[in-house]
Amino acid sequence: MSAPGKTEPIELIARARTGDTQAWGDLYREYAPAIFRFCRRAMPTREDAEDATMEIFMKLRDKLVQYDTTRSFTAWLYKIAANHCWDMLRRKKARHDKDTDDIDDIALECPEPNQLEKLIEERTGEEVRKALDKLGMRARMALVMRYYSDMSYDEIADALGVRRQFVGVVLLRARHELRQALGESSVLAVGGAR
Amino acid sequence: VSEPERNKDKRLDEKCMDEMTLLLYVERQLDRETAQGVSLHTQTCTRCLNLLRALDRESRLLTRSMLEQDEPLPARLAEFQARVKRNMQWIWGVIFGLAVLGVYALYSTYIEPWQRQFEQAGFGGSNLLSLVVFQGAFWKGWQSMFTLLEALAVMVMIGFGLFAFRRYVRRGSAVAMLFASLGVLFTLMAPASATEFRKGDNITIAKGEVIKGDLFVTGEHVRIEGEVDGDVYAFAHQLDVSGHINGDLIGFSESERISGTIDGNLRTAANNVTITGSIDRSVLSWSQTLELDSNGKIGRSLTAGGQSLTIDGKVARDFLGFSETTTISGFIGGSFRGRGKSLSIASGAEIDGTTKFDGQQPPSVSSDAKLASPPEFTKVQHHAEERDAGYYIWRVIWTGAFLVFGLVLAGLMPKFSMETVESAGQLGASFGLGVLVFFGVFIGSLIACFTIVGLLVGLSSLMLWFVMLFAAEVVVGGIVGQWIMGRNDDFWQFFLRVIVGVIAVRVVTSIPFIGFWAGLAVAVWGMGAISLALYRRLQPSLAPNIPPAPMPPINSPLPPHTTVGGV
Repeated sequence: MSAPGKTEPIELIARARTGDTQAWGDLYREYAPAIFRFCRRAMPTREDAEDATMEIFMKLRDKLVQYDTTRSFTAWLYKIAANHCWDMLRRKKARHDKDTDDIDDIALECPEPNQLEKLIEERTGEEVRKALDKLGMRARMALVMRYYSDMSYDEIADALGVRRQFVGVVLLRARHELRQALGESSVLAVGGAR
Repeated sequence: VSEPERNKDKRLDEKCMDEMTLLLYVERQLDRETAQGVSLHTQTCTRCLNLLRALDRESRLLTRSMLEQDEPLPARLAEFQARVKRNMQWIWGVIFGLAVLGVYALYSTYIEPWQRQFEQAGFGGSNLLSLVVFQGAFWKGWQSMFTLLEALAVMVMIGFGLFAFRRYVRRGSAVAMLFASLGVLFTLMAPASATEFRKGDNITIAKGEVIKGDLFVTGEHVRIEGEVDGDVYAFAHQLDVSGHINGDLIGFSESERISGTIDGNLRTAANNVTITGSIDRSVLSWSQTLELDSNGKIGRSLTAGGQSLTIDGKVARDFLGFSETTTISGFIGGSFRGRGKSLSIASGAEIDGTTKFDGQQPPSVSSDAKLASPPEFTKVQHHAEERDAGYYIWRVIWTGAFLVFGLVLAGLMPKFSMETVESAGQLGASFGLGVLVFFGVFIGSLIACFTIVGLLVGLSSLMLWFVMLFAAEVVVGGIVGQWIMGRNDDFWQFFLRVIVGVIAVRVVTSIPFIGFWAGLAVAVWGMGAISLALYRRLQPSLAPNIPPAPMPPINSPLPPHTTVGGV
């Protein structure tokens, strides 16, 4: 993925749009690792992430001519990836997790700041990633879209098919689920959904 | 903690912000007024300030954890790019190969030999429509023709299927499903469309024999002397109908003789058609010669094209004829509208409506003929082969027409127009698909007109095909213009390139000798580009209206939206 401050490969994209297979290959090599990582965070298994990555690039190949060159390619690509992953998850009929319930019916307990600080301090990146795997699909997807690919609330709402006002609730619920999952290993649950 | 401090904290607690509000503040999703309230509050409330900081740190932890490169790109993905390339080439190769093979087979096996025969027979005025319609009529093996068409249709369908489902090609189950669907389709089509299917050298539906339902029949010589209680689809060298057909007759043959009764319509493409019997509804005929005997009756209208049309019998309604020579000595209950070389209205003829004829010679009208109104004649000038100034003036006029057409299209569908021009830039894909659409859709539409698929579907497809044909030049003009002047997405700049490109294309297609082939290539290329853009449009949309979000600096320790103001 593009490094911070690195300009997007406009020339490469333009050539890939005209069907230049070499440019397409370069574009793939440039963006595939980041998209795979995105899929790895969003999808339940490594195999699913690999499948999703391939399909996203197949889709990208078809849709590249529709890309509006005045906008950010990376953001556009992430939008495709997010939509595709969410579609895959829905197709897999695996949305039996509790976060498909009415999200506004469930009250959330406000965490103690000190306990939350302690939990954050004690957890490593690997533990967070393992905890992410335990989350419901919508919760995980929302966190990945927001904190990995920096998608806006509008984009998240559109991808998940919820009202924009609910995005904050979804994210907050996702954080609570994550804290619970992180706390389970150390018997340090902070807040959490009831 | 002293009692007053505890009381202070308690008072503040009562006014504390909820976690949702604080999270939205961290995420910069609050309106300015509410955000200022939170900022002020966190300057005095330790608890909320701490929670705010914790939420902010949690955001950073999440971003950092997700961005960590814990796994290398799997080998399967590393090799994927090359595999995609190979897969795509293979699919395009299949489609293009099938299309070229099909077109070549049709041309070399049927069109070319027939064309020679046709020219030797002195049948002039041939065009692509008559080529396709008539070519089979001169050939004795309609059965083989039918088999070839079936095979071609199946191959094209499989090609399209592979293309449409290329994402799943690597999954055997999807391919199996595709083939299974085709199997089911063909299985279902047969019982739904026919209750009887007969094939052989000599097929006779004997007198007294009654067939309930539709009849599909192919053979060297087909005789229908009995009764068919349904439609008849006949492919034969010689077709004789002396019996009774309760439905329509759709016939393809060299020689066709109708002496019996047809309660429905007659749709036919044949070399010679003779009607001495009765047809209760309309007749649509494309044949070299059509003769409506003095005993022959058509209950509704007659639409016919060919070399020679002779109407001695009775047509209850209008007669529309396109023929080199037309002779009318019978009764036309409606109007006559004709075009051709000559028209003869003989003694005994009666036309109850208007008579209009466009031809090279004025119609010859017998004094004994009864016409409701004097015939209206328009002389058709036979254009010289050599290109005079008029030719080039018309080219200019047509260029203007194409540009207006292009402007209308681009104005109505600006984004789609640009996508289409973009697709034209993909030469291989456009040409591959173009060959299929240019020949396949056209031939398919004609077949549809004459078969069970139906006239409505056939004519609709044909109209769409013609629209695409006219738009093709504009599309190709667009990409040529971009090659000449460079790409620009501004509408008027885009259209300026279309103008330049269309003019360039028209110049090339006006060059003697190579102009025709250049025009053909432009038509194929443009139609392929339109089809490609349409195909892409029909793919599931991925939330196209959402404005893209800025890309985060992914190696940065903090996501940009998690800065806590006032803390």
